Amino acid sequence: MTASYAPKRMSPQLRQPSTTRAMMLDVMVALTPALGMAIFFFGLRALALTAVSVGSCVLFEALYRLLTRQRQSIGDLSACVTGLLLALSLPASTPYWVPVMGAAFGIIVVKQFYGGLGRNFMNPALAGRMLAGTLPMLMTTWPQPMQKLSLAAVDAVSAATPMSYLHEGSLPPQPLNIMFLGQRGGCMGEVSTFMLLLGLVYLLLRRVISARIPLAYLGTVAVIALLSSPEGISPPVWTAYQLMGGGLLMGAVFFATDPATSPVTPRGHIMFGVGCGLLTVLLRSSSSYPEGVGWAVLTMNCMVWLLDRLGLPRRFGIGNFAATRDKLAEMRASLAEIKFVRPQPDFKLPKPSEGQAPGEAYLDLLRSALKTVGPFASVFLATCLVIFGVHRFTDLNTARAEIQAEYEILSQAMPLAVVGAETPYHPAGALSVTAGYGEEGHLLGYCVSVQSQGFGGPVTMTVGVDLNGVVTGVAIESHSETDRVGTEALTPEALARYVGRSGTIRTSGSNSVDAVSGATATSKAITAGVNRALNIVANLDTAGEIDYEDTQ
Amino acid sequence: MTHSFFGGVYPATRKEMTRRKPLARLSVTPQEIVIPLIMCADGPATPMVRPGDPVLVGQPVARRGQTGAAAFASVSGRVAAIEDRPHPWGGYSPAIVIQNDDRGDHYEGRPTPLDPRQLTLEQLVERVEWAGIVGMGGGCFPAWEKIARSAGKTDTLIVNVAECEPYVTADYRLLLERSEHILRGAQAIARCLRCERVVVVTEGDKLNAVEAVERRLRRSGNGRVQIIPVRTCYPLGAEKQIVQTVTGREVPPGGSAIDAACIVLNVATVFAIQDALFQGRPLTHRAVTITGGAVTRPRNLWVPIGTPLRHLLETCGGLKEEADLIITGGPMMGVALQSLEAPVMKDTNSLVCLTAWEHKPDTPSGVCIRCGKCVRACPMHLAPTIIRRALEDHDLQKLSRYHLEDCNACGCCSFICPAQIPLVETVAQAASLVRKGGASYDGQLRA
Repeated sequence: MTASYAPKRMSPQLRQPSTTRAMMLDVMVALTPALGMAIFFFGLRALALTAVSVGSCVLFEALYRLLTRQRQSIGDLSACVTGLLLALSLPASTPYWVPVMGAAFGIIVVKQFYGGLGRNFMNPALAGRMLAGTLPMLMTTWPQPMQKLSLAAVDAVSAATPMSYLHEGSLPPQPLNIMFLGQRGGCMGEVSTFMLLLGLVYLLLRRVISARIPLAYLGTVAVIALLSSPEGISPPVWTAYQLMGGGLLMGAVFFATDPATSPVTPRGHIMFGVGCGLLTVLLRSSSSYPEGVGWAVLTMNCMVWLLDRLGLPRRFGIGNFAATRDKLAEMRASLAEIKFVRPQPDFKLPKPSEGQAPGEAYLDLLRSALKTVGPFASVFLATCLVIFGVHRFTDLNTARAEIQAEYEILSQAMPLAVVGAETPYHPAGALSVTAGYGEEGHLLGYCVSVQSQGFGGPVTMTVGVDLNGVVTGVAIESHSETDRVGTEALTPEALARYVGRSGTIRTSGSNSVDAVSGATATSKAITAGVNRALNIVANLDTAGEIDYEDTQ
Repeated sequence: MTHSFFGGVYPATRKEMTRRKPLARLSVTPQEIVIPLIMCADGPATPMVRPGDPVLVGQPVARRGQTGAAAFASVSGRVAAIEDRPHPWGGYSPAIVIQNDDRGDHYEGRPTPLDPRQLTLEQLVERVEWAGIVGMGGGCFPAWEKIARSAGKTDTLIVNVAECEPYVTADYRLLLERSEHILRGAQAIARCLRCERVVVVTEGDKLNAVEAVERRLRRSGNGRVQIIPVRTCYPLGAEKQIVQTVTGREVPPGGSAIDAACIVLNVATVFAIQDALFQGRPLTHRAVTITGGAVTRPRNLWVPIGTPLRHLLETCGGLKEEADLIITGGPMMGVALQSLEAPVMKDTNSLVCLTAWEHKPDTPSGVCIRCGKCVRACPMHLAPTIIRRALEDHDLQKLSRYHLEDCNACGCCSFICPAQIPLVETVAQAASLVRKGGASYDGQLRA
């Protein structure tokens, strides 16, 4: 024994035995029950997906560290935890490339770009998972549990998850005990409430996480669910389904408690949990997706810096009242700092310096101003030009007028119709056939656009015929008749005489519409057109080979 | 009814090694006693003897000059030298070296014992100053000043037997074996200071001492004294935390227990005070725990102040395996020894020889994963990880808002950190940076 010892460090001389690596290992142990249940439910494919995910996370971390010549950090096991969490938050039918993509995004972009473990502001696993979640086909196929998936090809029978029922405001068909054990559709890790609770208890006992975040999170969701259960469903049952449904428990236990992306102070924990809960309820009830845990946690991740500030413990020894007072005073002081500063533009003209002509200084000033304003002005001008050009060369007014004219014609030809839809059928003699629909969306009849030879040229008209073969109206689209002579036959009064007719209209005798005097040729042309239209509609109806109702 | 304080950590106590070992006197007194002149926080005392002078047990060898506390010979013999000797706080400092003649003759010029019933505050302060009693829990602050300042301003006398440091059992053994003396001393002090309440605070792992004290209290029937066991938690023994635990009051920033109307005295201090008051004996001996996984026979010893620590270790059979670290004053707040030749001081409550497996030798500190355990462990409501981040960013404005001067260096943050980041040092560095206004910052974090 030597006589002198060099002191190695300041107090304390003891250290608690836990390490970062041990904490990560504990998280992995806590996830093992859920992983086991996933393998039991979804077969070996779950295990294969997990292996791919963990492997790619570790690989990307090692590669990034190698390429950037930083110290290898895979020994702290954080990449393994990320991989495990990523895999367990995916459906078992996911293709193998998805966890690889998620791992690349989570590990490289979210984690390493920001400085590695502890510096990322979003949970890498969750970020990778939500990136995969933006691909719609992954979000909609949920394999049924106990349907053993083959390792290679995926032809999963998609099962509706309990969340999609809850999203509609009704209870899912699974009873509560099934929800608890987990035979339901969903992501691999989230289905079994029981296994997740086991993980939570383990993490709490090992002091890896504090109970504040999960309790605040679940508590907020539970309270809101209790207060807002739909009619006819008892609030406790609704609450239980809300708590066990979807990824809430997994999010509350494993994602929201990620140390790097949650606040460090106890008060911050509570605020973080409550915020996650509120956002989850909001997204579950009002977004188009049935589930909102992932986005809720990611959003709160981005607010951690703020919660860290808000949640700082109050100073020891000054009491709550004084602490609040100080905080308010500080806030008031900060608010007082915000004041309007009157702009003080300096319009002094520059004095010509040595060796300059009298006007040169002004030129310099102008040049520098142009330099500052120039890029902005040119961008502004270019934008204006583009907008003007688009406006100029797309003839919006004409397009608008066409739509308006079409509507006018429809309302004349078939006053009861509110919507017209062109059918794909083009019978001989008709320019187009438009189906007219009433206010409740039922088919009223067809408007047939026909052309016939008038006195001065072709007359284009649209004839409305209802389903009984009765004319509902005639609208003239265009004509070239002589003003005040031929147009006498085109007045609304003259045209109204066709309304209610059916069969073949003659110019005289029974079922006839008399020609307007002085415009006989035009009248004949219109009658011929109406007859043709009636004929076309009658043949449309008797043909019966095309289901016109479906053409909308 | 006890209150709780925020934070704290729960190190493995490992007190079972010595908790059943009674306080034993040294069978062989050391050949040489070293009495350092610096045994009081405010500075060195003035020697009263010259080399060659004969001294007896209890004879004053140093007195309070401008600074320091009186010191007494704890053995009889001859002053060999007044020279620089290793000091437990590190380095060398002047000390009176006494050659022991093993006769143990007592000094005759001792003051008369005082009558507990007619004790006055002046007598108490004078006697405590005469006996050279300092805070024996590790503070080394002059006890007489604390008592004089507290007179009339306090309503609670807290006798600190918390002993929240792991391994150490000296205070516990003292309370168990001398409970009658301690209670008598506490009552006398409380009467002089007009405290309404005397609270003996022990941690929950000392239940048979609690039982012994309660039995005595029942017999004496004095309602003013109570003993409360508290859940074991470090740093319960710190002044601010023990005041908060007992009364629920928080000591204001920069203040001491007096600002919360409390006076906190360590149990060894109370015992020394009653010895001085009612036996007329100065402070010459104290209880020391010699323990740790490397010690052959861990023991509690009643040792003369000034005994070299090497002698204590030899009394306990020496080291059975190589000690990775030797500490005085408990593993949490204590100081790593530079030399075993350093003597027992008035505040030395333990000699802990840790093996490598107990001590968890230095591992390179990892990266902060923001787990927040340091924030939840800090009893002074600081946020070490946030302070560290601000220090890394060299953000003085932020740092000055974090009340760094509140840090009491208890080390909970460093203890709990799973990444082994030396957070106490970081906070201390940040505090000194704020004090100096950032002038001396070299842009480098001490690893």
